[in-house]
Amino acid sequence: MWVLCGSSKSPLLFTFNIYSLFMNIIRLETSRLFHRFGFGPRPGEFAQAIKDGVGPTRTKFLTPPPVDAGASVIKDPEITDLGKRPAENSKEVVPFAIAMRYQSEQMVLWWLDRMALSDHGLSERMTWFWHGHWATSLQKLNYPLPMFTQNKTLRTNSLGSFNTMTKAMLNDGALQFWLDGQDSTVKAPNENLGRELMELFVLGVNRYSEDDVKAIARSLTGYQVDRSSGAVTINQNRRDIKPVSLLGTTAVFTGDSLADFLVARDDCATFIAERLWYRFISSNEVMPTDFAAKAAFTNRSIASAVAGMANDSAMSNEKYELVKSPVEWFIAACRALELVPSRLSTSGQLINYLDKLGQVPFSPPNVGGWPAGGAWLSSATAQYRITFATWLVKQSALTALTNIPIESRVLKSADWLGIPAWSARTQSALRSSLGDPAQFALLALCSPEYIVSA
Amino acid sequence: MDTLSRRRFLKLTSGAVAVGATANLLSLDQIAEAAINRPLAAGTPIIVIVTLYGGNDGLNTVIPFKDPLYFSSRPDISYKAETMLPLDAELALNPSMTGLKGLWDQKKLAIVRGVGYPKPDRSHFSSMAKWQTASPDKHISSGWLGRWLDSQPEDSMLAISLGSVLPPMLAGTKLSGSARPIGGLTIPKGTLAAGCTQLSKVARADSPLMAAAATSMRNLFDLSTSVQPILKMPAPVAPDLPTVNGGNAGGDSNLSQQLDVVAKLIAAGSPTKVWSVSLGGFDTHANEANAQAALLGVVSASLTKFMSQMKSTTRLNDVTVMVYSEFGRRVKGNASQGTDHGTSGPMFILGEKVKGGFYGDQPSLSKLIDGDLAVTTDFRDVYATVLESILKSPAEQTLGKWSGRTNFLTPA
Repeated sequence: MWVLCGSSKSPLLFTFNIYSLFMNIIRLETSRLFHRFGFGPRPGEFAQAIKDGVGPTRTKFLTPPPVDAGASVIKDPEITDLGKRPAENSKEVVPFAIAMRYQSEQMVLWWLDRMALSDHGLSERMTWFWHGHWATSLQKLNYPLPMFTQNKTLRTNSLGSFNTMTKAMLNDGALQFWLDGQDSTVKAPNENLGRELMELFVLGVNRYSEDDVKAIARSLTGYQVDRSSGAVTINQNRRDIKPVSLLGTTAVFTGDSLADFLVARDDCATFIAERLWYRFISSNEVMPTDFAAKAAFTNRSIASAVAGMANDSAMSNEKYELVKSPVEWFIAACRALELVPSRLSTSGQLINYLDKLGQVPFSPPNVGGWPAGGAWLSSATAQYRITFATWLVKQSALTALTNIPIESRVLKSADWLGIPAWSARTQSALRSSLGDPAQFALLALCSPEYIVSA
Repeated sequence: MDTLSRRRFLKLTSGAVAVGATANLLSLDQIAEAAINRPLAAGTPIIVIVTLYGGNDGLNTVIPFKDPLYFSSRPDISYKAETMLPLDAELALNPSMTGLKGLWDQKKLAIVRGVGYPKPDRSHFSSMAKWQTASPDKHISSGWLGRWLDSQPEDSMLAISLGSVLPPMLAGTKLSGSARPIGGLTIPKGTLAAGCTQLSKVARADSPLMAAAATSMRNLFDLSTSVQPILKMPAPVAPDLPTVNGGNAGGDSNLSQQLDVVAKLIAAGSPTKVWSVSLGGFDTHANEANAQAALLGVVSASLTKFMSQMKSTTRLNDVTVMVYSEFGRRVKGNASQGTDHGTSGPMFILGEKVKGGFYGDQPSLSKLIDGDLAVTTDFRDVYATVLESILKSPAEQTLGKWSGRTNFLTPA
C-alpha cells in the first residue's frame, strides 16, 4: 500500500502521494460498498464505479430499482405444505422425506441464485442480514414452508419499518416454533422467545432484568403454530391476560402492543445500530456513540439507518475491516466468475462445501446467528476454502479474467474482484501463476485481501 | 432431523461401520507408522475439554433423588428414582450415564457441584463467553486457554479444537489454537501448494484480520504435513448421533467421532496439550427428559470409550477430561416438558489421576435464589487447578489473582 510521505522534498512526488492516498480511499470505500452493501461486483462494475465516484455509487447502492431484472429471472421454488410426518418405517415416509429434502435444497439454491444474480445487492444483502438477526433454523423446524414464508417476510421488510418487521416476526410460524412459542401457556410460560426477543432481536443483552424476562414470557403466551404450514393462531384460553410489569410499565400486552413498546425504546435504536455496525462495519471494534445509523434510526426506518451508516465517516476508516462469511465469499466468487449457484455441478456438493465451511442459508448454528471475524479464519476453513474454490474455478470459463491483457493482469485483477489493492505478497503469488489462469483465480479468491473486506 | 443433518448422519455412520469391524483399538504398528517427528514428551499432562452447548440441565444430570422437592418441582421431566444410578445416599447420575457411573465406582470421576460464577447470566452467548474467556465481570475477547497459549512458544499443534470453527476459549491476544475438521484432508500439491505457501506469508501491509487469514493458511500446512498420516488410520466404531428433540444452541453433534480423532492423535504422540471437543443440543426448553437422556448417554458412552482407548496407549496416566456447559436450567419445569435457562450446574473431571468424589456443595432445592440454584463453586477454581496442575503454568497470568482451587488430582 502507498503511504503519504510528509517529509518528501519533491513536490511532484508529494502530489503523486496525495493523489494515491485519495485514490486509496476511493477504492476502499467503493470496495466496501460492493462487498458489504452487496455481494461483490460483477466483471467491469468496480472499474465503472471508480469512474463514477463514491457519491453516485453510494446513491446507486442505496436506491432500490423499481424492478430488479437480474433477480426477477429466478422463479420461486415450489414449496408446499408437506403435512403431518408419516410414521417411521411406514410406506408413506419415503416420498415424504424425498419431498422434504428436495424442497429444502431448492429453497437454499433459490436464495443463493437471488444473491448471485441480483442487480441491486442491498435488498438481498439486507434480507441476509435479517436472517442472521432473527436467526431461525430449518434444522429444528424440519419443514421448508415456514422457513420460506419467513424469508419472504424478511425480504418484504428488509429496508422498511423495524416496527412492522417485529410485529410480523412475532406472527411468524418458523420463529415461534424455533423458540418454543407454541408451548408457552398461562399455566407455564416458556421464556425462550421472550428472552431472545429482548436480548437478540430488539434491545440487546442486559438491557432488562430477569424479572422482565419472566414478565415478557407471560405476555407472549397463547401462540400456537401449525408446524408444517407455519400458520400462527392465538388461543385465548392459553393466554395470560393479567397485567405484567415490564421494563417499568404495567400493562396487558398483545404481540402488537409489545412490539410497539419495545421498538419505541431508546435501547432499540442503540441495539440495531450496534448490530448493523457489527455486520457492516467492524466485528472487532466497538461502535462509537456517534455512529450515524443510530440517529438515523429515530423513525425506526431501516432504509434510513442503512443510509446513515453508508454515509458515516467509518466507511473510509481503514481500521474497520470485516471477514467475508462463507456465503458472502462464495456469492462474491460466483459473481466474479459468472456462475449461477443452482447450475453448479452438483447442488449436493455445493451445499456440502458450504456446510463444511460452517454456513448454509436457513441453517444458522443457533439463535445468535453465525459468528463473525476471526472465527472464519481457522486452518480448517482455510483448507475447505481452497478445495471449494478449486471446484468453483473449474466450472467457470474465466472469461473476465482472461480478457485482461496478461501484462496488466496482476494489478487489474484487483478491479475484477473489487478489492482496494493487492499486497506485494499476493502480487508475487499471482505473478507466478500468470501461465495458469485457473490457479491465478484460485489464489486470488483465497488471498487474505479477498477473504477480508479491507 | 432434516435433510442436511440426516445426510451428515448417514455419511458418518456408514464410514464408521465400514472400518469398525477391523479396528476397535489402534494397533502398535499403526501408531509406529504414524509416529510424528516431535512427539509430546512422555509423561506430559494433557487436558481434553468437552463443551456442552445449550445449557445442560445439571439437576437432571446429577440428581438429588431423595429430595421430594426435585420430583414436585418438575413432575413432567423427572426420571423415576429406581432407574437412576446412585452415587451416594442423596445424589444419582442420569439413568443413561452407565459408563460414567463405572468410572465413578473406580474413583476416577470427580463431580464438582454447583459450578458457576457471580451474577449468573442466562443468555447462552453471554454465559458461554464468560466461561470461555474466564472473565465473568467484564467483556474481553481473549479466551482463557488462548491467554495460556500467549505465554507459550508458538506452536500450532499445542491446542487443537475439533470442528471447523475455533471456539473463543482458544483465541489468545497474540496466538491462537488450531481448528481441525474431523474428516480427512486434501492438501494442495505442486505449484498450487507453492502458491498457497506464498499467500500464507504475512505481508507488511496486512491488516490484523488479513494477517490472521494468512496465518490460518500457514497453520494448515504445518498441521497437515504432520497429521495427515495419522488421520488416514481407521477409526473405531462411533455408535452415537441421536435424533435430538430439544436443542438449537451450538456445538457439534458427533462427540464420539471427535474423540476418536483426539484418541488417535494422542496415541501417535501429537505435541498437543489442550484438546477441545463439543456436543450441542442441550437447550432443552421442550420435551427434555428423552432428549437429554439421549445426549447424556452420548457424553457418557463417548467419554468411557475414550478413556478405555487411552489404556492401549502410553498416555493413560497423562490425560484428564473436563466437561462443562454454559449454565444449568431452572428448577421448575415449564409447560413444554422442558426447562428454561438457569444458573449453576455440575462439572465432570475424569482421568486416571483424578481423585474421584464430590467437590463443592450441592445447591439446596429449598434455598433457591429467585427460583434458581445457588452457585457454590466458581469455575475459576477449577481452571486454576487445570492451569497449575495439568498445564504446569502459573494461574495468575491467565486468570489474574485468583485464590480458589479445586484439588481434583491425586498428589503426584
